[in-house]
Amino acid sequence: MSRRKEAIPAEESDQLTIKPLGAGQEVGRSCILLEFKGKKILLDMGIHPGLTGMDALPYIDTIEASEIDLLLISHFHLDHSGALPWFFAKTSFKGRCFMTHATKAVYRWLLSDYIKVSNISTEQNLYTEADLEASMLKIETLDFHEEKDVGGIRFRAYHAGHVLGAAMFMIEIAGVKILYTGDFSRQEDRHLCAAEIPAVRPDVLITESTYGTQIHEKREDRESRFTGMVHDIVTKGGRCLIPVFALGRAQELLLILDEYWGQHSELHDIPIYYASSLAKKCMSVYQTYVNAMNSRIQKQIAISNPFVFKHVSNLKGIDHFDDVGPCVIMASPGMMQSGLSRELFESWCTDPKNGVIIAGYCVEGTLAKHIQSEPDEIATMSGQRLPLKMRVANISFSAHTDYQQTSEFIRALQPRHVILVHGEANEMSRLKAALIREYETMPEVEITVYNPRNTTSVELTFRGEKAAKVMGSLAVHKPVEGEVLSGVLVKRNFNYHLLAPSDLATYTDIQVSQITQKLAVHYSGSVSTLHFLLLQLAGHVEKMDEVKSSFRVFDVIDLTVDKNMITVEWKGSPVNDMFADAVLVTILRAETLNEPSVKIDDYGAKFEWDKFKDSLVEMLRDMFGEAAVPKSVTKDDFYVTVDDKKAIIDFYNLKVTCEEDLTLQKILQTAVSRLYNSLAPISAIQM
Amino acid sequence: MTSIIKFQALSGCFDESPHCYLLEIDDFTILLDCGWDELFSVNLVDSLKQNINKIDAVLISYPDLLHLGALPYAVGKLGLNCPIYGTVPVHKMGQMFMYDWYLSRYDSEEFAIFDLDDVDKVFDRMTVLKYNQTIALKGKGYGITITPVPAGHMIGGTIWKIVKDGEEDIVYAVDYNHKKERHLGCCELEKVTRPSLLITDAYNMLYQQPRRSARDESLVVSILATLRSQGNVLLAVDTAGRVLEISNLLDNIWHNKEAGLFAYNIVLMSKVAHNVNEFAKSSIEWMSDRMVKSVDDARNNPFQFRSVKLCHSFEDLKKIPSPKVVLASMPDLECGFARDLFVMWCGQPNNSVIFTQRTSPGTLARYLVDNLGRVLSLQLDVRSRAPLAGKELDEYLQTKKQKASETMEYEESSEDEDEISGPVGHDIMVMEEPRRQGKKPHFPVFPFHEEKVKVDEYGEVVKHEDFLIVDGVEEAEKDISDAQEEPEEDMEIEEIPTKCMSQSKILKLNCNILYIDFEGRSDGPSIERLVFQVKPRRLIIVRGSQEACEKLSAGCQAENIWMPQKGDHINATIERHIYQLLLKDSILKDLMFKKCRESEVAWVTGQVVYDTGSTDIEKSDVAEAKKNQPHLDLVDYNLIPSHKTAFLNDIKLSDFKQILGKNGIPSEFIGGTLRCCGGNISLQRLETGKVSIEGTLSEDYFKVRDLLYEQYAII
Repeated sequence: MSRRKEAIPAEESDQLTIKPLGAGQEVGRSCILLEFKGKKILLDMGIHPGLTGMDALPYIDTIEASEIDLLLISHFHLDHSGALPWFFAKTSFKGRCFMTHATKAVYRWLLSDYIKVSNISTEQNLYTEADLEASMLKIETLDFHEEKDVGGIRFRAYHAGHVLGAAMFMIEIAGVKILYTGDFSRQEDRHLCAAEIPAVRPDVLITESTYGTQIHEKREDRESRFTGMVHDIVTKGGRCLIPVFALGRAQELLLILDEYWGQHSELHDIPIYYASSLAKKCMSVYQTYVNAMNSRIQKQIAISNPFVFKHVSNLKGIDHFDDVGPCVIMASPGMMQSGLSRELFESWCTDPKNGVIIAGYCVEGTLAKHIQSEPDEIATMSGQRLPLKMRVANISFSAHTDYQQTSEFIRALQPRHVILVHGEANEMSRLKAALIREYETMPEVEITVYNPRNTTSVELTFRGEKAAKVMGSLAVHKPVEGEVLSGVLVKRNFNYHLLAPSDLATYTDIQVSQITQKLAVHYSGSVSTLHFLLLQLAGHVEKMDEVKSSFRVFDVIDLTVDKNMITVEWKGSPVNDMFADAVLVTILRAETLNEPSVKIDDYGAKFEWDKFKDSLVEMLRDMFGEAAVPKSVTKDDFYVTVDDKKAIIDFYNLKVTCEEDLTLQKILQTAVSRLYNSLAPISAIQM
Repeated sequence: MTSIIKFQALSGCFDESPHCYLLEIDDFTILLDCGWDELFSVNLVDSLKQNINKIDAVLISYPDLLHLGALPYAVGKLGLNCPIYGTVPVHKMGQMFMYDWYLSRYDSEEFAIFDLDDVDKVFDRMTVLKYNQTIALKGKGYGITITPVPAGHMIGGTIWKIVKDGEEDIVYAVDYNHKKERHLGCCELEKVTRPSLLITDAYNMLYQQPRRSARDESLVVSILATLRSQGNVLLAVDTAGRVLEISNLLDNIWHNKEAGLFAYNIVLMSKVAHNVNEFAKSSIEWMSDRMVKSVDDARNNPFQFRSVKLCHSFEDLKKIPSPKVVLASMPDLECGFARDLFVMWCGQPNNSVIFTQRTSPGTLARYLVDNLGRVLSLQLDVRSRAPLAGKELDEYLQTKKQKASETMEYEESSEDEDEISGPVGHDIMVMEEPRRQGKKPHFPVFPFHEEKVKVDEYGEVVKHEDFLIVDGVEEAEKDISDAQEEPEEDMEIEEIPTKCMSQSKILKLNCNILYIDFEGRSDGPSIERLVFQVKPRRLIIVRGSQEACEKLSAGCQAENIWMPQKGDHINATIERHIYQLLLKDSILKDLMFKKCRESEVAWVTGQVVYDTGSTDIEKSDVAEAKKNQPHLDLVDYNLIPSHKTAFLNDIKLSDFKQILGKNGIPSEFIGGTLRCCGGNISLQRLETGKVSIEGTLSEDYFKVRDLLYEQYAII
């Protein structure tokens, strides 16, 4: 088996390999390798937010970066795009890289911010601002639903929800379709559309599993809970803090607040601030790429741009903040590890009128997670202890799919293979178990779920039938059983076409060419010597022109003798070139010879059937023993007996018939025609 | 398997009438563009009417009148009822074109050819696509896929690729621009190779464009000269197409201090200027790489104008001090602000009027462009819409009162029924938006409400299915309860009934009149080159003078070339033989593929075998279907016929020269032949696909020949 595998080149192999280099049973550093038909594709190139330096990278060292044909980035989050500048700058990658317009625009600023932050905290930087700039030149963009083709890999992006510009990729190689979801959400929110369900059914689905089997709160409920809480806090004269990550959910919350303020004029004197320079920088991106958002926003844009907020103002830093009376502040970081959100929290936490709303996903060990357990006291950055009196609420606005959505999604798509990535090992195995349970009762649905670890590959086999389209003069009539077809097979992007050479130019961009060759050779010998030798060589020489003494030999080579030069002319092809070589040798030889004494006309090489008969008898006796061929055979009655089976050889037509044993007939047929081919003069063999 | 393909030009053949063609593939009929000229020619409508029931789909290439002008009429009045396809910007900007056209016409005359409802109907029906998004048609059109490909010229401009059964590819490319512009990338027609049918126009075939820099300079020079002499400049532009290029160019020039234009005012004036600008700002991904880069790197939206101001009425314009440059629509001067400004300004010798595109023959603009410098005075109908007064007004109010008495519940009811109902109210409101800005808080107004149940407190939600947008208007008005005065003012404008007046005036043309080409279409030499590159197997030439069409046809080597007369039925059916054959692994394994261009080729010989393996088990339909699928299997060695060697590929001697150079063989061109090795060997390219190599018997000869052979896939 393994030997057979070697025999088949990678591009003809039916094996699809999917190998997570990151995000296999973990969250972070998404990077998945696809390999099929000799094409290699990487999906995402993230870093692990919990690790630093080289450790944060996916396991790129296990692959050869130069062999990657295509790299697709699903969205701008660091765990999906963070390692991209490094990959461009520090590896031999020379394939193409695609992402959506909005992703590219945000990526530029998000990574630049990341570089600045990691500059302060760690010594070892994966890449610099210059690397990031350089990567911008190499990244190509594609629009949603636009279909691209890179060397036979066809792919298109679908809306994935999650964040602005987030895409799912449907990849098709030689008819096998793979859908990679990236991070997605099937719930439409204020500005993003829900993840689409592609119209085509994928064979393999690679999906995220961050939330495993959990189920989210309904959107209306959480929104009204959120606005209600904010309203309550500020009307009671309190300050409301919303720690958020600068991009993604923050924009959604701003939209909610801005609209809510618009509807409640009594709140107009209470300011809303967002304090993030990154969010401010990216606001223009949000204002520009509204086409990537949902239809509501697109209709609204006709009237006014919803991302030009009317009640929200930007706050440059805490120094610019005048803390007088009620207000709403959105500040990063989202988990209040340090920075502005932490500072504000510490100064406000002792007042029961104030409130904090945790809106995102929190990691264990951060302050945001800690206050959810409602402790009496908290420790400040400086080590002081403060009583926690302010209201704490947790309203999750996370835009990841939950179990209900994932399950519906899979039901709608009905892939045969589901590969889980981007989820903690526990959540992932729970999801796997739940999915298997769901389809247990449905034996008619064939579905296999995999949850590979990093660098472990899932190997699937797709037996694709390779169909060729026969076109043009070859296809004039329908194929008949046993008919022999012969033509040029053109393979392009895994499509096969069978054409006659004369039709090539009509149906493809391939031209059929002809090379005519003309060689001049010095010749001082006599024409008749040359003629004699050519006769010996070719058996037949056609005289083209008596006066100018030009000949044609082998039907394809023209010789013209002119004074002391001979020009040899022919149309290039391997066989003709060989003839030409022979003719050239003959010319060189003729020069050294004297005039022949024989009359040349009857000296052409002739095929002697008697000689052929003798050779044939001798050969057959060698093959099958002395007794096989009777002594008395004549040319008209030639037969062989092997194992009591009689085979008749039609001598002049070189046809063998043996009704009893087809194998014998085949062997004999081959032997006879090969012997003939080796004995007969070239002119007698049809070329 | 052969598809029957028919083509009929309803308009746009051997002249400059708008694009409108019927393409039939088997029994599926596609309308390619549905343009109308500025004067509403009746001919087009007649032929459209005859075929209206046949049409199964409409493909739109550009958002301007020339390509979709007749759609509102066809949908609204002729009852065209089929899917319409266009790119996202064609949808958005097309709507703007139609609104502006309607409103400009409405401003000056009783206009009833179509109304805003019809326009909305068209765009509600339109399916929007992205570039390179392939859509498979359903129902009768099963097997046909359509793909829009970038065409340049205008934002969202499209070359349509229509493919039947994956083999028959028809390309419809008109008015494309192969040059990169400030705001748009170039067309991607070159990427199309060897389509079985190309439908293209010859409009610009006899025309050669000036260089871009020269053109821009002449524009700036003439603007500057006029402004310095205290004159005003009128640039007649379209609504939402080429205006983007011109406004972006001018905004940049204004910003450039050296140009010295900073002190003067520049205005973009149309009924929908604000919306066009907003759409442009949010359609950056459809524009050139440079525009995208400007957003990504500098976070600077190129359509966030620094100098260009937007105006929607003459009141707005009055506030802007002269001298000024006004970009106004419509480019034909048949209606719109451009015509009004022309009438106002054409008398003063220090003013300039600049035309940026050629409009249909018969329009005022075209007359002036064709007779540059020769027209000294002009008799013109000056039309306007004026409010009713005196007796007329009384009469009107009388009848109105009766009608309104039932619906007078709302203060704004009069607005509802004045002339607009349904979604149109939204448009009117949109246009007034800028006027209101700054005075009062500005709220987002959603045409659709899904979860915004909060409006309940106002008791407004009742019938929002029927009057979605009107609902929005009401809401907006309600929201702005503190600024009640302003809407009242607006309403007064609406409420006063109007009538149209027309009077014939003789105008003296003292101003400068110029034509500077900003059409953004490929010119003659480029069209010729592109069509040659594309190498269509069949070609249909439309739109263009007889001479232009013939010139294009002469330069093309297609198997068939048609130049249809109006109404001609062309049968472009291609006799096509095709069937599918499954390749057995046994045969594929032994093939030696050789690379040739982007494909790989191999010579294959095999025997056709019908797979009968499964028939033994079950003689059912499945087996039958299988039997229909022939396989290609290995064939007995002796049965393989010998074949002539084929050299595949086509080389250029100039490329080969470089290859020789790389291998240390110097060569030079002498009179079309490539000579190398001290002149002992020469290569010549005779005609397509034929190369001759000549030389004396030497080692070098074989070396060069081997290199030459390497350029081909020899099978």
